[in-house]
Parts: sequence; C-alpha cells; structure tokens
Amino acid sequence: MPEGTLCNKKPIDSAEALNTLLSDTSGEVYYREMKSIEVDTKLLWKTIQNTCKSRIRTWLEICAHCGMCADSCFLYLVDDHNPKQVPAYKIQSTLGEIIRKKGNVDNNFMIKTMEIAWSQCTCCNRCAMYCPHGIDVGIMMGYLRGLLYQQGFVPWELKIGAGMHRVYRAQMDVTNEDFVDTFEWIVEEYEDEYPGLKAPVDIQGADIMYTVNAREVKHYPEDLAEAAILFHIAGENWTVPSKGWEQTSLSMFAGDWAACKMQVETVYDAMERLKPKIMVGTECGHAHRATVVEGPYWVGRKDGRPPVKSIHYVEWLADALKTGKLKIDPAKRLKVPVTLQDSCNYVRNHGLKSATREIIKHIVEPGYFIEMSPNKEHNYCCGGGGGFNGVGLYRPQRNKALITKRDQILSTGAKLVLAPCHNCWDAIRDLEEEYTIGIEWSFLKPVIIKMLDIPEHLRPRE
Amino acid sequence: MATVEINGKEFEIDEDGFLLDYNNFSDEWVEYVRQQEGIDELTDEHTKVVTILQDYYEKNGIAPMVRVLSKLTKFKLKHIYELFPSGPGKGACKMAGLPKPTGCV
Repeated sequence: MPEGTLCNKKPIDSAEALNTLLSDTSGEVYYREMKSIEVDTKLLWKTIQNTCKSRIRTWLEICAHCGMCADSCFLYLVDDHNPKQVPAYKIQSTLGEIIRKKGNVDNNFMIKTMEIAWSQCTCCNRCAMYCPHGIDVGIMMGYLRGLLYQQGFVPWELKIGAGMHRVYRAQMDVTNEDFVDTFEWIVEEYEDEYPGLKAPVDIQGADIMYTVNAREVKHYPEDLAEAAILFHIAGENWTVPSKGWEQTSLSMFAGDWAACKMQVETVYDAMERLKPKIMVGTECGHAHRATVVEGPYWVGRKDGRPPVKSIHYVEWLADALKTGKLKIDPAKRLKVPVTLQDSCNYVRNHGLKSATREIIKHIVEPGYFIEMSPNKEHNYCCGGGGGFNGVGLYRPQRNKALITKRDQILSTGAKLVLAPCHNCWDAIRDLEEEYTIGIEWSFLKPVIIKMLDIPEHLRPRE
Repeated sequence: MATVEINGKEFEIDEDGFLLDYNNFSDEWVEYVRQQEGIDELTDEHTKVVTILQDYYEKNGIAPMVRVLSKLTKFKLKHIYELFPSGPGKGACKMAGLPKPTGCV
C-alpha cells in the first residue's frame, strides 16, 4: 500500500518527525505525495461500522432535503448561494457517499472530501438550529474529519498540530518547563507595575485552576500576565498546573481522536491532582468546547462533565464584575462604538450568551454597544473557525469567508470588536488586514485592565 | 504562489506574506517587511532580533518562544512589541524570513 514519506496514515509521534514535516514549508511535498496515497478501504469501512453510531446514521437517513439548512450556512451565503455549499449536500456527498459505498472510495474522492471537510464547514453548528430535524452537519463534519485523518487526508498544518499534542501535550512546541518558566518570567515583568503580583504554580486546593492556550505561552505571553493581574486584583485564590495547563485541541480540528483523548486527560489529571474548586479556561472558544463540552465524552466520563466544575473566562469575568470583585471606573468605560463577536464554540455550543452581555454592561458606556445582526446563538462564525484560519491551502476560501463577518461588523458601525476567543480574534485581525475597514479588535482582559478601579494597596507603582 | 518585488528583487511569498524560501532572505526582504509592518526606522535592535530568530531557526527548524527571544536579546516583552508592533510571532518572524508559525497564530 503506497504511503508518502511525509503524507501517510501514521500519526506524528516524535519531535524528530514533527521537525521533518515542519521543514517541508507550506506542505509542498506533503500535498504532492497526498495525490498518490491509497485509501485503506477495509479499515475505513471497519472504522465506520465500529464508530458511526445511531445518531449520525439516523441524521443521514432522515434528512428530507428540504433545504432549510442552506440559508443558515454563512459559507453558502458568501459563495453566491452555490448549491454545493448547502450543508445537507456537503455531508451527503461526502460522509453519506462513503457509507453508501461501504468505504469503497478512492484517492481522488478523499482529496475532494478533505477540501469540503476543512474549507466548506467550520463546524460552527449553526445549521443544526435551523434544521427541522435538528440535524447537525457540524458534528458530522467533525466525525468525517476523523475518518479522513485516519486515512492520511488532512491539511498539513493540522497534521502538525495534532502531532504537537501527541509530542508536547500542547498545540505548539511548549514543554511543561517552558510553560512554568514563561509564566514566572512574564509575571515578574509586570510585577513592577502591580506590587505583589504572583505566579502561583501547583497550589493544592485553590479556588481556581486556570488553564490556557499554548499560543499565549509561545507567542502572546502578555495574555498570561493579564490573567494573573485580574485574578490578583480580584483577590482570587488561584493556581496554574505545571502539567495539564493546555486547554486547546488542534487534534479536535484535525480529527485525531486518540490525540484528543490524550490531550484532555492531562487537564483532567491536573484537576484530580490539585483538586481546585473550579477550573477557569482562557478566552478561547474551541479550548472550552474541547475540554469542557466534548472532552468528558472523549475520555468516557459517564456524567459528561469534567472532574471539577469548569467555566469559561467570560463566566468568571461576568461574575467578578457583578459581585464587585473587580470594579470598573465608570469614567474609563469604552466610549467608542463597540460590538461583540459571539464565539460559536461557547455561545451556540454552550449557551454562554448572557455572560458576555453582563460584561458589556459594566465596561461600555451606555449607548455605545451595538449588537451584530444576527447575534447570540444565531451569530455567524467569525469566518475562520474549526481550523480554517490555520490552513494555508485554503486561504483564498477563508478570506472570502471573512466577508460575512466584515459586513456584519460594518453594519454595526463599530470601531472596536470585542472577541473573547483566540480564533475569532485572529479572523477579525485578518479581515482587517485583508479588507481594511478601519476597526480595532481585542480580547476582554486588556480592555478591562485599563479601566479598573484598583484598591489603593494594589495600585500600579508610578 | 504570489510574488513581491522590491528594489529590483523578487520574492515568492506564502498566502500570509511570509517568505517561501528561507534561503532567499536578503536586505531587500527586510526592507519589504519593514514597509509592510509600518516600522519607521530599522535599528540595530531590529537586526539583533532578526539574527537571533535566524540562529534559533537554523538550529531548531522552528521559531522560538517569546520567552527565549527575550532571554537571548535581553529585551523586555514590551520593548519587543515596540520594535515589532504586530508581535514577535508575526512581524519579527516574517522579517527574519522564517516560515509562518503553525497552529493558531
């Protein structure tokens, strides 16, 4: 069975293999090899028989082809109502076809299916809200990605991302030592301004165990410092685990089911080890979906919940503002037109729409907040979800997909977009770079730090 | 792949504007990224960051963490942002001719 040296069915499981794949810039050789790898049709069919359970089988069968899902999909709308972008068509012509053919599909079919699975669906799950049967094409695309990954048909960056989780238990090459070192260093850098600022690592029985996105550690360490500052000023008893600190899961985007389990287990182990009252995750959408919403099922937890109560950063923030743990100086509230990006992964998928709006009430001067239309659980994906942002091969499609969000933002007239999700933040940054509409974008942490009414003894030194 | 031209030299770039072939790095590339990133004037400090990123990349095949960059340059994070407003993972890596970092960057 022909396999490529770089593109093959074998997961990446060593730093050396990662480096070899990384050195193939943009996946040039990888994608060339992909054109000639064979599909293991027996394995594919066996996997489907073992893993494609009643929910997905039922969904595929009961789809009435009514077309209600068409207008719900922003990729259909932004692609001039291209019938090939109708969610029902996208899943029937890929997963449906593989099942009808009992796994007997060829290389060419799988390459086309890969393109649909990663460039024509961001797994935003919006279509499920409009389907009269509640059929969720996003969930099915996630499943399809798993089949594609197994057969070696996965975008280059996501094969790397999943490999990072396998090797480092993080989406980037950040070791546990790197994490602790970076966290302590960055807190020290800000300690000058915030007297008493601490980097509490591995504290047993803390009220909060905080988990992050590895890219904050690798590329944006100020985010770690901002989290530390806000917990500090709120007077929280908090900690970070030296192991199990990474909340994200590019393996979920890649469809690497085994790596999904490996990754989330590290976080759950940290919960068991440190026994915090709750876990708070950073301003990331897919990290929350992976660790809090889907992770319990990956590891087979019967109650469908993580070992300790786990909340998103916006929930902690909303509560801290509501209860007065964090106080805002009203004079410093935002007085520019502001809008809010609802992250699919914790708003549509986990119902957290009111937490962000509670925060808005505290930080935006009345009259300056403008909702996007549609919004809350009906909001459109940022345009780059589900791994779309990170895949160079599909950059033209992704840039076109950003037009939906661009136009939604333009209609609000907002000059600042609050985006409490790394993926959304990137997409909005990229749409500004691509289309230059004159907006700024931000996470919540830096905005709130600037407007805090800080108790005398915690105030920044002059 | 797209091509950009500056001062008579052509460069192939990837979809996000990163240099496609690290071996084509040159002063003209630095000048191109300087303009793209809106950096007014190149200083020895920019050069120091670029050189350190390249040394690390040549040894490890990947961009370093900001922590490592700060340690090696002895620059504080805030100063690195002053030098490269779009951030060390984006602007600085781009200027050094490194490939686009993978993962969500």
